[in-house]
Amino acid sequence: MRRITYRDALREALREEMLRDETVFVLGEDVGRYWEGAFRVTKGLAEEFGDERVRDTPISESAIIGVAAGAAITGMRPVAEIMFGDLSALAMDQIANQVAKMRYMFGGQAKVPVVIRTPFGAGVNIASHHSQSLEAWFMHVPGLKIAMPSTPYDAKGLLKTAIRGDDPVMFFEHKLLYPVEGEIPQEEYTIPFGVADVKREGQDITIVATLYMVHKALSAAEILAKEGIDAEVVDPRTLVPLDKQAIVDSVKKTGRIAIVTEDCKTSGVSAEIAAVVAEEALDYLDAPIKRVAEPDTPIPFSPPLEQFVIPNEKSIIKAVKEIVY
Amino acid sequence: MRLKKEKLIEMYRKMLEIRHFEEKAFELYGQNLVPGTLHLYAGQEAVAVGVCANLRRDDYITSTHRGHGHCIAKGAQLERTMAEILGKKTGYCKGKGGSMHIADFRVGMLGATAVVGAGIPIAAGAGLSIKLRGTDRVVACFFGEGASNQGTFHEGINMAAIWALPVVFVCENNLYAMGTRQSRVMLIENVADRASAYGIPGVSVDGNDVLAVYEAAREAVKRAREGKGPTLIECKTYRHKGHSRVDPATYRPKEEVEEWLKKDPVLRFKAKLAEAEILTEKKADEIEQDVIAAVEKAAKFAMDSPYPAPEEALEDVYA
Amino acid sequence: MPRLSLTMKEGTVTQWFKKEGDMVKKGEPIVEVLSEKATYEVEAPASGVLRKILAEEGTDVPVAGTLGIITAPDEELPEIEVAPAPPVVEVEEAVAVPERKVKERIERRIIASPAAKRLAMEHGIDLTQVRGSGPDGRIVEEDVRRLIEEMRTKPRVREVIPLTGIRKTAAERVSLSAQTAPQSTITMEVDMSNAAKLRERVGVSYTDMLVKAVAKALTEHPMMNSTLEKEQIKIFADINIGVAVATEMGLIVPVIRNANEKSLTEISSTLKELVEKAKKSKLTKEELTGGAFTITNLGMYGVDVFTPIINPPETAILGVGRVAEKPIVVEEQMVVRPVMHLSLTFDHRVVDGAPAAEFLQKVKQKLESPEALLA
Repeated sequence: MRRITYRDALREALREEMLRDETVFVLGEDVGRYWEGAFRVTKGLAEEFGDERVRDTPISESAIIGVAAGAAITGMRPVAEIMFGDLSALAMDQIANQVAKMRYMFGGQAKVPVVIRTPFGAGVNIASHHSQSLEAWFMHVPGLKIAMPSTPYDAKGLLKTAIRGDDPVMFFEHKLLYPVEGEIPQEEYTIPFGVADVKREGQDITIVATLYMVHKALSAAEILAKEGIDAEVVDPRTLVPLDKQAIVDSVKKTGRIAIVTEDCKTSGVSAEIAAVVAEEALDYLDAPIKRVAEPDTPIPFSPPLEQFVIPNEKSIIKAVKEIVY
Repeated sequence: MRLKKEKLIEMYRKMLEIRHFEEKAFELYGQNLVPGTLHLYAGQEAVAVGVCANLRRDDYITSTHRGHGHCIAKGAQLERTMAEILGKKTGYCKGKGGSMHIADFRVGMLGATAVVGAGIPIAAGAGLSIKLRGTDRVVACFFGEGASNQGTFHEGINMAAIWALPVVFVCENNLYAMGTRQSRVMLIENVADRASAYGIPGVSVDGNDVLAVYEAAREAVKRAREGKGPTLIECKTYRHKGHSRVDPATYRPKEEVEEWLKKDPVLRFKAKLAEAEILTEKKADEIEQDVIAAVEKAAKFAMDSPYPAPEEALEDVYA
Repeated sequence: MPRLSLTMKEGTVTQWFKKEGDMVKKGEPIVEVLSEKATYEVEAPASGVLRKILAEEGTDVPVAGTLGIITAPDEELPEIEVAPAPPVVEVEEAVAVPERKVKERIERRIIASPAAKRLAMEHGIDLTQVRGSGPDGRIVEEDVRRLIEEMRTKPRVREVIPLTGIRKTAAERVSLSAQTAPQSTITMEVDMSNAAKLRERVGVSYTDMLVKAVAKALTEHPMMNSTLEKEQIKIFADINIGVAVATEMGLIVPVIRNANEKSLTEISSTLKELVEKAKKSKLTKEELTGGAFTITNLGMYGVDVFTPIINPPETAILGVGRVAEKPIVVEEQMVVRPVMHLSLTFDHRVVDGAPAAEFLQKVKQKLESPEALLA
């Protein structure tokens, strides 16, 4: 095992896949040799693979995805980067109406192996247009798969699987996770989609958390343990396909669930997971389902305001205590 | 004419196929056999045929909601196209796409999209694919003058331009986007003039003259194959019918319609071929009968085909 | 009739441009129709003769219905078949949404978590029997689980009888007695040969004799006729003796007042009367109160020795066993005599063993020489 950062793990995945398959290429704004990626994920790749395969684009999100789509249906495996998740709105038609639907509406004639990488998340004071978590928008579009790795290990394994797969993948990263270190194996590995990871085993309550919130949940679990509450933290890792069985099995064991996500509460991903639990594990619930999410507001700028809206250990612990009695 | 006789007759036949196919589709729609709606290509045959006559089977095209003509011109089968329009299991898209989302990947028809302008960056993407793979294929991208106002027109063509992608952007200017006349939504008369904004050549041609379209497309395809990048060809043409089957098109002045009907591309080409003694009346009739029979056969095939099973709605979402 | 809009069901024929018998050319407009959206000129689908007009001006025709028939000039007119109406999609009338009546539930709802409900159902537990420990009294899984455990370890209950009435009072009284007075019991054997003879001769019962004997003994040992109240031993002025009677409703203790002043026969008749009344629940308050000493007899049930519990706030109670023929030693000889055991329980706070024994001795002597009781 060795320790690397989340961004390095992503880069390794990209590099390994580009070496393995010459149809894999990267495109996006400032991904090439001049800036090497807004978050440095693509650092060094243009130098190694050339400007053709690690391609800077104009500021044209819609066309970035459209071009990726056209390349994908004619035999390439593009990995498109949208600099900030919030900007995916500019490419919504291409993502939701074209990329997601081409296989289906053409009766299976098209293969659309597009991977769209983009970071979500608040916490660095860049406010409303650069801090959102919009995974719920995409979870609602049939035809897309969604990966949300919380650790370097998950990031590398999931990205490789995303690139090798024949389906479109929304690959959501988190700004605050890029510098986070973690252990990954020496040898090559992939992680399948639709398999959740129990990051911490426990008996008293299930906490389902995604992306950066996984770390908040683990931190909260440590504090709760000292107070005699043993929390189990389940990281779905992919929202589509969702490992429902893992979540249901955990609830059957603990009888309680708190869902922690960084998107806005109303119609957020936690609503879907709560519905799944209510549908498939109702008889095992010993208390109401709890959701911890951002309030229904845009992300504000000033630090005390921003910190107020992001779920943290305190809000997680408060929610847990409301149903562990 | 530089073209060989066989090629010219082939092009004429193709135009006739499209014309009769659209009429048949129109008829079946009247018999309530076509679910939804139809956007007929009748009147614009010269554009599809003129462009596609320059393409190889391994070249690509992208199309629009008014795409039957492009599909047929690129080499799709009439049977499976008609079956798809009727929503049958035997259609190209197994009944999942319909008229507005038709595709035949075997002949490089990468699909019609119903979102105006969405095909432009996708065509550029296919061009990028060609470039990265190092072949000399090209992409022809069809869209209307209405689409030239969509952001994707700007983004897609710009990207194709900067990367010198092998795409021929074909703007079918039929003067109306649904009921909206071109002059009301742009100040310029020629969409082709927008090409200079991207630093690529733009040319405006008589879209009802199949040979004029052919020539312009030939240049553009050559440029593309030689790696010199994209071209924007504007073809001035006209819809014979309304926007879609339900549209009586009363927003078009009667005189204008009559004027354009006189310039019917099929009749014009027929006359030209007759004049050049390439097509006799007898031969023309033969071809027509042949086409009518082929279209009848396609219609019968489509009508006799079964609908897909309801549960098939759940298939093909993911690989 | 063409479909002019996605929702059109039928159209109206407004104007025919051709008459029956006219030649028509394919593509030529021959009839105008109207739908809710627009008018439209329908073109002839083929060239020929307009042989028959099926839909006159002003008639409504469903979409895909036949408007007219065109034949070739020398073709036979086919049997007129009106095109079958296309499948009509029935649009159901919007049903008025019934007013929602919110029923007020007056009875108390049992709030229990789904997990608790499931567990209860699996084990046949009635949730109304479970106390909820969750917020607002919600029953949680643990509550049900606990009940299941209890049921598994405790013996099963067949019937539940509430503690009421005489039973409840009796329970309270014996509890009080046991909690306040440290009690000790001493026993003695009594030779009832002479008492038996007296019983035969005079016709009084052993109980009558016992009441007289105890009354006399109490005059000689007044300490036994007392009550301890806080820090004071109060010796009673009267000798009122209660006799425990078993009835259907439970143990009743009627009181023979001033037993020492009554003759044996008087005691006998009084006791009979009281017992009669007791069995019919006709005792007065006076007849049930005022007792200072109680006699309780389990002899008729075959009991020899027992440890009666003092009737609070009395100081002592005398338990009487059965009279049975037993072998005893008299003057070094084994003889068979009617023998009865007396069990005296006394409040050890008031008297010690020795004085209690002395009292009991007196009672024994008086029973063994019962002639004195007649006096």
